[in-house]
Amino acid sequence: MIRTLTLLSLLSLSLASLPLHATSGAENAKISFDRDIRPILSENCFSCHGFDEKSREADLRLDTYSGSVDESGVIVPGDDSSSSLVDRLLSTDDDEVMPPPETGHKLTSEQIEKIRQWIAEGAEYQTHWAFVQPVRVEPPAIQNVSHPIDRFIQAELASKSVSASALANPATLIRRVSLDLTGLPPTIEQITEFEKAMAIGPDEAYELLVDRLLASPHYGERWARWWLDQARYADSNGYSIDAPREIWKFRDWVVDALNRDMPFDQFTIEQLAGDLLPQATESQKIATGFHRNTQINQEGGIDPEQFRIDSVFDRVATTGTVWLGLTVGCAQCHDHKFDPIKQKEFYQLFAFLNNQDEPTLKVFPSDVDAASLMGEKKQVEKDLQSLVDQHSKALADWESDLNDETKSSLSKETLKAIEVAKEKRKLSHQLILLEASQLLGEGSTIMRWQDRIAAIEKELGRGTSTMVLSEKSEPRKTTVFIKGDFTRPADEVQPNTPSILHPFEPQSQSPNRLDLARWIVASENPLTSRVIVNRVWQQYFGRGLVETDSDFGLQGSSPTHPELLDWLAIEFRESKWSLKELHRLIVTSHTYRQSSNARSELNDQDPLNLLLGRQNRLRLDAEIVRDVALVASGLFSPEIGGPPVYPPIPDGVMGLGQTNRKWNASTGNDRYRRGLYTFVFRATPPPSLNVFDAPDGQSSCTRRIRSNTPLQALTLLNDTGFYEFAQSLEKHIEKDGVEAAFQRCTSRRPTEEELALLNQLDTLGVARALLNLDETINRE
Amino acid sequence: MRSETHTLLESTRRHFFSQCSMGIGSIALASLLAESKLGAAPTGPMTNPLEPRVAHFPAKAKNVIFLFMAGGPSQLETFDYKPKLNELSGKPIPESFVEGKRFAFMSSSHRTDLLGFRPTFKQYGANGTWVSDYLPHTAEIVDDLSIVKTCSTDLFNHAPAKLFMNTGTGQFGRPSLGAWTTYGLGSECDNLPGFVVLQSGPRGPRGGAIHWSSGVLPTTYQGVPLRNQGDPILNLSTPDSVTAHQQRQLVDTLRELNLKRLAETGDQEIGTRINAYEMAYRMQSSAPELMNTSDESVETLDLYGIKDANESSYARNCLLARRLVERGVRFVQLYHTNWDHHGGPTENLETHLPAICKEIDKSTAGLIRDLKQRGLLNETLVIWGGEFGRTPMGEVRESTGRNHHIDAFTMWFAGGGFKPGTVYGETDEFGFSPIDKPCHVRDIHATILHQLGLDHEKLSVRFQGLDVKLTGVEKAHVLKELVG
Repeated sequence: MIRTLTLLSLLSLSLASLPLHATSGAENAKISFDRDIRPILSENCFSCHGFDEKSREADLRLDTYSGSVDESGVIVPGDDSSSSLVDRLLSTDDDEVMPPPETGHKLTSEQIEKIRQWIAEGAEYQTHWAFVQPVRVEPPAIQNVSHPIDRFIQAELASKSVSASALANPATLIRRVSLDLTGLPPTIEQITEFEKAMAIGPDEAYELLVDRLLASPHYGERWARWWLDQARYADSNGYSIDAPREIWKFRDWVVDALNRDMPFDQFTIEQLAGDLLPQATESQKIATGFHRNTQINQEGGIDPEQFRIDSVFDRVATTGTVWLGLTVGCAQCHDHKFDPIKQKEFYQLFAFLNNQDEPTLKVFPSDVDAASLMGEKKQVEKDLQSLVDQHSKALADWESDLNDETKSSLSKETLKAIEVAKEKRKLSHQLILLEASQLLGEGSTIMRWQDRIAAIEKELGRGTSTMVLSEKSEPRKTTVFIKGDFTRPADEVQPNTPSILHPFEPQSQSPNRLDLARWIVASENPLTSRVIVNRVWQQYFGRGLVETDSDFGLQGSSPTHPELLDWLAIEFRESKWSLKELHRLIVTSHTYRQSSNARSELNDQDPLNLLLGRQNRLRLDAEIVRDVALVASGLFSPEIGGPPVYPPIPDGVMGLGQTNRKWNASTGNDRYRRGLYTFVFRATPPPSLNVFDAPDGQSSCTRRIRSNTPLQALTLLNDTGFYEFAQSLEKHIEKDGVEAAFQRCTSRRPTEEELALLNQLDTLGVARALLNLDETINRE
Repeated sequence: MRSETHTLLESTRRHFFSQCSMGIGSIALASLLAESKLGAAPTGPMTNPLEPRVAHFPAKAKNVIFLFMAGGPSQLETFDYKPKLNELSGKPIPESFVEGKRFAFMSSSHRTDLLGFRPTFKQYGANGTWVSDYLPHTAEIVDDLSIVKTCSTDLFNHAPAKLFMNTGTGQFGRPSLGAWTTYGLGSECDNLPGFVVLQSGPRGPRGGAIHWSSGVLPTTYQGVPLRNQGDPILNLSTPDSVTAHQQRQLVDTLRELNLKRLAETGDQEIGTRINAYEMAYRMQSSAPELMNTSDESVETLDLYGIKDANESSYARNCLLARRLVERGVRFVQLYHTNWDHHGGPTENLETHLPAICKEIDKSTAGLIRDLKQRGLLNETLVIWGGEFGRTPMGEVRESTGRNHHIDAFTMWFAGGGFKPGTVYGETDEFGFSPIDKPCHVRDIHATILHQLGLDHEKLSVRFQGLDVKLTGVEKAHVLKELVG
């Protein structure tokens, strides 16, 4: 449901009051443009005095040194009292004061003081941190701490005189890391074994556990969902008609690529331009489904070009958000207000994504040799056709000799074939007649050959369609659209990348998507590796090192730990873009493994836990809420991949869209598959997932909201699916007792008090209570 | 440590049972609200994400009922009286009107010949407002209505245009008007959702859930469909084999267990969850109570034109809308399909338009009268309209129809501080374009929020570096003349 969010930009506000690189005697610390000044100017000034020429007032720009110093002189470096900017900020005259009162913006005296100090110190501008290549800094040396992540984190904690929290207990730890890496809770046996191993050698036990989880095929499922959110994956066309579509092969491609730990650069290239790789494989073509996850408007009376262009807009914006962490979509109608991206540059990116056809690809199971089957079918048909041709004269004679009497002895099928006009007869008709005419004598092989064709067709029918991109041989002409309106084309543009970033050096004369993809994963790109490690980090701590995970631009928040972010970004790239290694690196840190319990002294110092003196307690993602209940109740079907399934949903849900789509609840194992496999109609998303904030594929979602609502309570209490899980858990309670069931849900043993409370309920009540526990749907 | 936990547990329990009815809350939401530049962000811990909040300035309207006529009702057969259209019926519209314009069905049935209208128009009310005889009951209440004849929108296909009317943009993923309203104001009802969606007619609105989406806001604010069949709210009923007593016992036990976890972990979100279970439990009885209209008098049922108290109809939905705002629910949206009169076999101007007008006319007027007689109309804003209007030109299909039209269409407002008995704006001789006082969808949004005490420039949420607002980036105007 929810796109990328930056809800807690309160966090970014409090960053200003929480300088993370403060030296002692903060009041004397040198002002940093990047950290202290740009956020103030960007928030309050740049929309009129920034990058966008068209909305620039008084011909004044404050986003560059030359603009504010050389061209306008509103800033005199080193002399704040002569800088008219300061006068305007301080003015009490409504006509003079900046920003103008009607904008609703106003600087605090503290902010003005900062600007004054910055000017006094020479008004030095810096390039925005995210547009500069990351630099590897040696992790600070901390006694007895070896893990590089912990060294960065604990250095900051130490500077605030707070300590990290103790390790979480083994039960919490195995549940946490199992859910984070595979989206499934550990079994009681796994917990017991882990607890034993921890008693002997904690580090070794934990490392083995991480190895096991990363090797599990469920790892790919869990992290595929993370990626599919960003890919705006769903199983229908959206808009009003919202017809079902087949693109789950793309979903399975993602699961498989992650399980094989495909390097992220290759992962990127195949999805953006797999079809353009030399001798592109079927798998590489399937990967291009990434950008086919846009919606298709099938309502009557539309101009298809309008909606094709809308989907290209979406592809440009999504590429920018997902890989660059930039809001390039803002430049669709005008130059970007805050970031140095011109409208023309938006359309230069658009030009890469404007030259595609949007076909479907037929994909066959590995045991179907489609090429040879199709070849064989062709040959058989050819042979049969020549057989028919050889006898065409005789056959015609036979037919014209037929009278009512002889006709009555013919089969229905034959009569039907006779009724088809001669020029419209297909091979199958002709063969029926040839057989009926007995021209070939008894025991002809025609029928055997026809059976063979039918068998081949059945085999080929096992194929699945999936939506892909393919490049047009003649590129479309791309122009700027005035105000983003496709009926108002302006100057023609050629494919190119934004000039603020690293240079674009295409391998061919006419650059295409493949060049764009390679540019994105080039080692000079300052953004992509940072953006991706940040988004992975966000999964583990509920918040990225950069709060605004999809806006690394000027309006985005500064990183809480810039050196750690850079270190991770470089490490990721240099570890051959291995996501598994990145996961291993993070989850083996003490920072990840520490307890998430609140500590009052820590809470006073750092109420939002920006410094990570403890872990964060996080509500599980919608699909995992389901998966945990499935596993706890013993119903879980571990099958991986395949067409989406239809677990039961309440009656009438599908009637909420224009078309009342069928939802025949799956039976057997398909009823108990992971949430990842539930069919998602965009117009009528499955309620039990939607209510826990699963995105509905309307647009790219890089960070889910975690809401906490009464409808969630109703779902867990009363939904048919969850009730069925409770009934199954009830049986386990009858067999193994309440304690074991508690452990199935939370991975820990209940206290005496908890047991006493639960024992007041009947067995089904206990099962329902356990599946409804806040702890069951959280990871601590 | 033991004693610290114990104290926290005790104080939390005390807090629950003595100090607040709504429970304790959510850091995430508190910070969300602090971020949102609302008039009065709560300073203490958030008690409930839907707790009523103080608006930016004093409000004229407390609640909203939006009667969404899905498909795009024709203004030319209802409120925008254009005699010239009958005079010139069959003649081409002058080229100057349509030059450079784009329409739906451009490549098939779209035509440029003017089409006359069938109904008879008469003047009603103190100001002699023109209304067609398709809407006799509405005609009798024109003195309570503010009719805006110059509404315009940007998009001319159904799903995108509906999205635009609801979220202020054709882009996916933005919050709808109802979500913005509950986000800005919370809800005064603590046992029903703050934003409720009702539906009637042959099919759901095109696009479905995106129209009542919370977009970039938490799902707390999304519209909750209230259904006339099965559970009124999904999963409202306790499973068949579970008694009410068992359900209560379960919720009580859960609270105790969750409180222990709260004491152990110090995670305030657990408080919000406990609170959510309490509200869910209350909803289990309050929603059926809401739906049970047997306590309504025969006169009231007659007023709405309800024949059977249990029928599933627009009429009953209107009654439910009143019952909802009576209970303090902030935003109620009724969708009624299908107003898409192109002239196809089931959607023409001869038969189907008069029929659907009849379906909604009595109940709509009944709703206004009922709200008024109960003293609810001044604090409830009722909105009537669709995603766009229809062209003055006819369309050529099996029978008579009109194409989608975005340049001028009619909506009306009643109560909530809108000036009663006014007609706002004027269109040209064919009803094609505004010639006086144009009113874009974003102006409508700005005005609605204004009546609710919300400043459309301030009601925003930070998303991808932008302060996202309902009214978007272009300038929106509060229609001061219309609301005084």
